[in-house]
Amino acid sequence: MKRVAYYKGCLASLSAKELDSSTQALAPKVGLELVELETVTCCGAGDIHEAEPDYYLHLNARILAYAEAAGCDELLTVCNVCTLNLRQANWQLKNDDGLRERVSNNLERVGVPPYSGNVEVRHLLWEIAEGEGYELLKQSAHKGLKGLKIAPFYGCQILRPSKLLGFEDPDRPWSLERIIEACGGTAIDYPAKIKCCGFPIIQAREETALGELIQPIEQAKEAGADAIVTPCPLCHLSLDAWQSKLKESTGKDFAMPILHLSQLVGVAAGLEEAELKFKRHVVPVTPVLEKLEV
Amino acid sequence: MVEAKHDVLIVGAGCAGMRAAIEAHDAGADVALLSKIHPVRSHSGAAEGGINAALGNASDDSPEEHAYDTVKGSDYLGDQDAIEILCNEAPGDVYQLEHWGAVFSRTDDGRIAQRPFGAAGAPRTAYAADITGHVLVHVLYEQVMKREIPTYEEFFAWKLVMNDDRCQGVIAWDLLDGGLKSIGAKTVILATGGAGRLYVGTTNAYACTGDGMALALSVGVALKDMEMMQFHPTTLSPTGVLITEGTRGEGAYLLNSEGERFLKRYAPNAMELASRDVISRAEQTEIDEGRGINGNVMLDLRHLGAEKILERLHGTRELSMTFAGVDPIYEPIPVRPGSHYHMGGVDTDVWGLTSVEGLYAAGECACVSVHGANRLGGNALMETITYGKRVGRHAADWALANTTIEVPQSVEADAERELKELLDRNEGERPWSIRDELASSMHENFGVFRREEQMRKQGEIVEGLRERYQRVIVDDKGDVFNTDLTQALELGFLLELAACMVPCGLERKESRGAHARPYDYPDRDDEQYLRHTLVTMRDGTPQVEWKPVTMTKWQPQERTY
Amino acid sequence: MHTDLAPAPGSTTIEIALKIWRYDAVTGDKELKRYEVEAPDWVTLLDVLDIIKDKHDGTLAYRKSCRMMICGSCGMRMDGAAVLACKTRMYDIAKSGHVPVIAPMGNLPVRKDLVVDMEPFWNKIRRMKPWLDPGYEEPPEKEWRVSQEKMNVIHKEALCIMCGCCVSECNSMESDPEFFGPAALAKGMRFVGDARDQANVSRLEDYNDEHGIWDCTRCYFCNERCPKGVDPRDAIAKLGAESIKEGIEHDMGAKHANWFVTSARTTGWLRETELVPKTQGIVEAIRQTKFALNLAKHGKVPSPVPPHVAERVNESRLLYSLVKEQGRDGALGIVQGEHALGRIEFTEQAGLKANDPEVQPVVEPPPAEG
Repeated sequence: MKRVAYYKGCLASLSAKELDSSTQALAPKVGLELVELETVTCCGAGDIHEAEPDYYLHLNARILAYAEAAGCDELLTVCNVCTLNLRQANWQLKNDDGLRERVSNNLERVGVPPYSGNVEVRHLLWEIAEGEGYELLKQSAHKGLKGLKIAPFYGCQILRPSKLLGFEDPDRPWSLERIIEACGGTAIDYPAKIKCCGFPIIQAREETALGELIQPIEQAKEAGADAIVTPCPLCHLSLDAWQSKLKESTGKDFAMPILHLSQLVGVAAGLEEAELKFKRHVVPVTPVLEKLEV
Repeated sequence: MVEAKHDVLIVGAGCAGMRAAIEAHDAGADVALLSKIHPVRSHSGAAEGGINAALGNASDDSPEEHAYDTVKGSDYLGDQDAIEILCNEAPGDVYQLEHWGAVFSRTDDGRIAQRPFGAAGAPRTAYAADITGHVLVHVLYEQVMKREIPTYEEFFAWKLVMNDDRCQGVIAWDLLDGGLKSIGAKTVILATGGAGRLYVGTTNAYACTGDGMALALSVGVALKDMEMMQFHPTTLSPTGVLITEGTRGEGAYLLNSEGERFLKRYAPNAMELASRDVISRAEQTEIDEGRGINGNVMLDLRHLGAEKILERLHGTRELSMTFAGVDPIYEPIPVRPGSHYHMGGVDTDVWGLTSVEGLYAAGECACVSVHGANRLGGNALMETITYGKRVGRHAADWALANTTIEVPQSVEADAERELKELLDRNEGERPWSIRDELASSMHENFGVFRREEQMRKQGEIVEGLRERYQRVIVDDKGDVFNTDLTQALELGFLLELAACMVPCGLERKESRGAHARPYDYPDRDDEQYLRHTLVTMRDGTPQVEWKPVTMTKWQPQERTY
Repeated sequence: MHTDLAPAPGSTTIEIALKIWRYDAVTGDKELKRYEVEAPDWVTLLDVLDIIKDKHDGTLAYRKSCRMMICGSCGMRMDGAAVLACKTRMYDIAKSGHVPVIAPMGNLPVRKDLVVDMEPFWNKIRRMKPWLDPGYEEPPEKEWRVSQEKMNVIHKEALCIMCGCCVSECNSMESDPEFFGPAALAKGMRFVGDARDQANVSRLEDYNDEHGIWDCTRCYFCNERCPKGVDPRDAIAKLGAESIKEGIEHDMGAKHANWFVTSARTTGWLRETELVPKTQGIVEAIRQTKFALNLAKHGKVPSPVPPHVAERVNESRLLYSLVKEQGRDGALGIVQGEHALGRIEFTEQAGLKANDPEVQPVVEPPPAEG
């Protein structure tokens, strides 16, 4: 079992509890022992990075410091935005000695253990798309997806900027497709799978955001997808919770179920509703469950 | 049909053109820019290493020392009055750029940083990392935008309008919408840059086809010192992409195949910071004598360290990795001489005025002459600014004092007819074969080292190509973005210039600066040739005459580095 | 800087096939045409276009000039992603047998083939008042004294060559064509961050437009596509940081961002439910009630009471006070890691070569004599 520090982030803690419960239930099946970090805060999203950049750096350094203090050299994330934020802060701290010194001093002053730069931040997606995690995934997905047509929606900040993320080619990603296939599903291809869902501006610029949001949903629907899977709970929120707004503006009812990555794998691995918590979705997942005879 | 009329019309919107436009505007003239590419695409932006002025930020310095270095660097062919003007006005002109917001690199105490450069007695090359030209083009364009100076973007200037022995405008092909358009003006400033595209292996952009020089030639203006083409010592093979002299300013070494810093045998004092012509000749000799590697020598930056390279030479690293497949932090860059800068050009006085009333020239396409037989690195950018300013001012003042503009219908009709003849032709030769033959033959016969027989042969080759050009065909007969047409017209300009350059090279029976004749005339001959060549086209045949060099303070000395 | 080590130029010939979208705005004819050429192994996409135009089809229209990644003329899409044609070496593509599709840049009207109308692009640049406003009548005699550290704030923005690759892919602009866009906003930051420019506040007020800073969707396509390493998204973030530093916080985007800060320094976790009224105001929040209730049914609206407080949240509160004290506010907060980023790329490419960014020379250079 690989022991990793687990950073669930704000959404998985509250409005997207289904992400946390399915991740925690899935983890042992794919060889991950999750050490939950209790003393952490929000990573700041792109917002604190923009509003108070120095504070953003310190909050993320604190998260990394606690992961290090928990004796872990890897921090597992389940959200694209958390991943980019933590990785960006990590790179700055690892490569700029003066910066790391100042930040560590500040952390110590408020009672946080210093950060020496020895933690690697990885998204669950990367853990199970290749290597040991992938092998265990294949073994555990015994119930399978029975050829269900799944459209992967990556979400911007797991792919770009590639110099900070760098797991896969940002224009030709393959991880979600590989996982879908390994779980017995059929991966659907469509142009908007690497584009933006609009979540960061869905409140401040709703119209612009909806103009973006409609693209993956409409294209996936036209390509015959039964559901969309995404590794980011913010994308999930716009794709799922805001889907009804698309109905208002276009008159079309897409009725496209949106699954978290851990739920997709979880359902293939035979997790229960208590762990998957599909009832928390705004767009009903029942059509998918019916097809899978769950 | 005349599109519009202006007081001052500037053909070419690089540093010289834009600086002239700003000055003319501020002098109260109605000025317009005209350029076959958008102003920020101008090749001034590819300049890398820096701009020279005796600011005195890195060491004690004075305009007089700057002038002396320039005079000596010119191999005493530079006109000393023009040089003194440049060096005296340079510091103020650089401060002006900084006041407008140019993003210069800084010293520890916040002043404009200056680095050592070739053949300079003191470090006086102000720089912005290794993207100085880019920074200057953008600051000038910002000032153009601020003044809302109208710009005929993507207009290809093809003919000058002559009327009443004055230049009164330009006839241009409108690239975006098609068709010939006439623009009248009281004064026209040519600021079209150089003609590096005469050669394979050039640092110059595709756009550098000597348009302004050919236009001046076509209305009887003489071109000066046309044989003086500078070969930059560090260009990438095979394209000629420029690797800045700034690498050597920061301490890079030039090595031959034996790992030797060979310049100790050619320029033992200045070594890698000797004058460009000296280094290009040294490299070519090493390569010719078998001490090159695949036709290159090695530019070694490794000892500078990653920190310095990433901070001050990041552009160089990017170019090297993309085009040479080499990361200069770990490996030396293979380089060789490539055609780079034309010291020669349109004969002007120190205000940029040509022999034709109302017609001016500034920047690389002009020859005042500030650079004589060889240009110092960092002086070209300075010339574009200082002389761009002076020419803009003079043209504006003249235009404001004179009233009429007339574009005769006959001039327009002639142009239309000539163009129709070209477009209607369906059988003949595609421009590329003529163009490629021109460039490779110039490289072979009129390059770093020149010989009598080869130059004669080149003269014949150019004649043959000019004849073939009479039957050149254009595939694209359309209106929208017809670069097939403009590229064919550019080739016409190049051929005219080549026809002028070769006779000048033959007539100058000495070696001076960039004109190196080690096999027939290896020495400099001040008694006979301390003078400029002047070439005009009469009935399609080049005629070479001479013009004395203006000397104020400095007598020719032996030139060693 | 997005530069990979390309293969060194050799002396062999390779075969390359391309498909190019031909288009004539006048007739409306559109066609995807295939071309096959033989070329030297060192060619770029631009070189291949030149070969096609010279020897196969003179009517092909595209822009070019410097061929060395500085003039910005040759932006175009290859397989849907904007690149500089002169920077795109073709060797690996040709060897793999892949036939790329070449198309004009996105988000701009197409005039012919690969030539787009750049006027909307330049209009947005001009909109930013892109010239220094030093706010004085008489300039100093010599240069303004500014430290290199201060100038470094705009080091990346000053690299921009106005090629349009960022604009081509901008997801916000695709949905909102009036969005200022990454190039214009990066140009704006070039001035806001320039210590010599005194018009900060009026600039920022202007850029806080409906189609300005907060219209950016943070898709990071611009950072990914930029061939010069400008990182326009980061420039936009710097503008947001400067706006908030100057107290320009009326935009919903700014309010949204500020609520994250408030949350982090009070409860540590994002106070999600209050985010809506804090961002959009009470009136709008009430209008969204039906929507909110639907979300609430599915547990998407966590109750704000009792607040979800992180453990040892006091550390987060103290950190906030500490950083405010240390005052690396605004864009300076985003820049502090910039120097590091240059080293990051280098060390990644170095792989195992160097632990220390200061690389030791592999070969001792021979000493100079004289």
